[in-house]
Amino acid sequence: MMGALDRLHSFRQTDAWLYSVILAAAGLSLVASFVLSVDALLLAANPQAALGCNINQVLSCGAVGVSWQANLLGFPNAYLGLITEPVLITVALGGIGGARFSRGFMVGVQGIAVFALGFAYWLYSQSMFVIGALCPWCLVVTLSTTVLFAAVTHLNIRDDNLFLPPRVQQGLETWLRLGLDLLLVVLVLFVLIAMVVVKYGAALFA
Amino acid sequence: MSKQEPTRQPSDPTSKRQQLRLEQEQAAKEKRIRNIITYVAVGLGAVALIGGIIWAVLTYGSQAAKPIAVKVNTEYTVMAGKADAPVIIDIYQDYICPYCGQTERANQADLAAMVASGEVAVRIHPMNFLDDASMGTKYSTRAANALVSVAKAEPDKMMAFNSALFANQPEENTTGLTEAQIAALAAQAGVTQATIDTFASLSYADFVTNSTNAAFTDGIQSTPTVLINGTQFEGNLLTAGPLKAAVQAAAAK
Repeated sequence: MMGALDRLHSFRQTDAWLYSVILAAAGLSLVASFVLSVDALLLAANPQAALGCNINQVLSCGAVGVSWQANLLGFPNAYLGLITEPVLITVALGGIGGARFSRGFMVGVQGIAVFALGFAYWLYSQSMFVIGALCPWCLVVTLSTTVLFAAVTHLNIRDDNLFLPPRVQQGLETWLRLGLDLLLVVLVLFVLIAMVVVKYGAALFA
Repeated sequence: MSKQEPTRQPSDPTSKRQQLRLEQEQAAKEKRIRNIITYVAVGLGAVALIGGIIWAVLTYGSQAAKPIAVKVNTEYTVMAGKADAPVIIDIYQDYICPYCGQTERANQADLAAMVASGEVAVRIHPMNFLDDASMGTKYSTRAANALVSVAKAEPDKMMAFNSALFANQPEENTTGLTEAQIAALAAQAGVTQATIDTFASLSYADFVTNSTNAAFTDGIQSTPTVLINGTQFEGNLLTAGPLKAAVQAAAAK
């Protein structure tokens, strides 16, 4: 059992694993962004359009889609996903293929990840507390962006790419060595999902 | 990890061995902590996943099994007709919900007649969960607030006003009726100006929100939902006839 845990831990530090996680998370977000973009077009053409995810009143893409928060920059937010996710997919495929990226490049990737996370969480909080309707594809983006951010950050800390002060860098490396990153990700995903369940509860199944 | 620089000379083998042992102990300790953390993380994930699946299955199962006999919270409702009428109809509705409008327009003549004859009381559960479907104007809350204001001040005008609101129902994702339009409909239904003047203060907005939450708590899944003496009506609400027949069947029991 100990051996298995150690192998799991070592495996989680490898390029193959980290880039694969980035690939999967970015791929999932891309699919979600695509669906949301198409929905945005349908919604623009006909605000009454019954969208694919109107499971019930709580899980309503329509209500989320027509809010100003869904078009923060003057176009559907999902377009940002269509622009950025393919970049991350390319990076992930390169990494899996054995490419090495310069520190500066990886700092840029980290920048995308930070921006994506901030944006996804802002939207999540808006749809939870302001719009009051949840859209399943947006939740997919929130969860997969969390995983994506964790993997990119893990990679960059492991390779000391972020030009952090030595003490911070060392602290973060200890954090990784102890596997606390895994615990943190599990906790964050748990909280994100639990909040949805607590808020909407049984209404999720209509 | 090492606290000291390793010495080049082989002069002090014991200290070197000690050093090595310390490092090994340190690594072993780290590994123990790591394993505990991993167990917690994996365990938490697994428990959450299994718990979630069980919860989902139970919730889904109980809902599939139970649609009859909903518990009805009546604290935040308004009623037309006599409370001791033999049949009580509960209607859960939102003023911007298109099917609520169709239901009301199809059945309002039957309902008005049955309320007038005293055989039925209609209890309206005004809801505002579609507030976001009126481009920020919260039409659902505004219209429901007006209805509750009328029901509290002039209960005999409530049904007529309710019908007027639905007869002039705005489409979803429009700004809804203006305050002036709502006031005009109320006046048309015979509501006094004194009552109409209270609409703007939205004093029943919380009432409507509480009504919405009470309905969710009671397990209402969509609007319109109609209960006849506490039992959900499953027939066709969108045409006149079936609801009236079901009410008469309930009255005959």
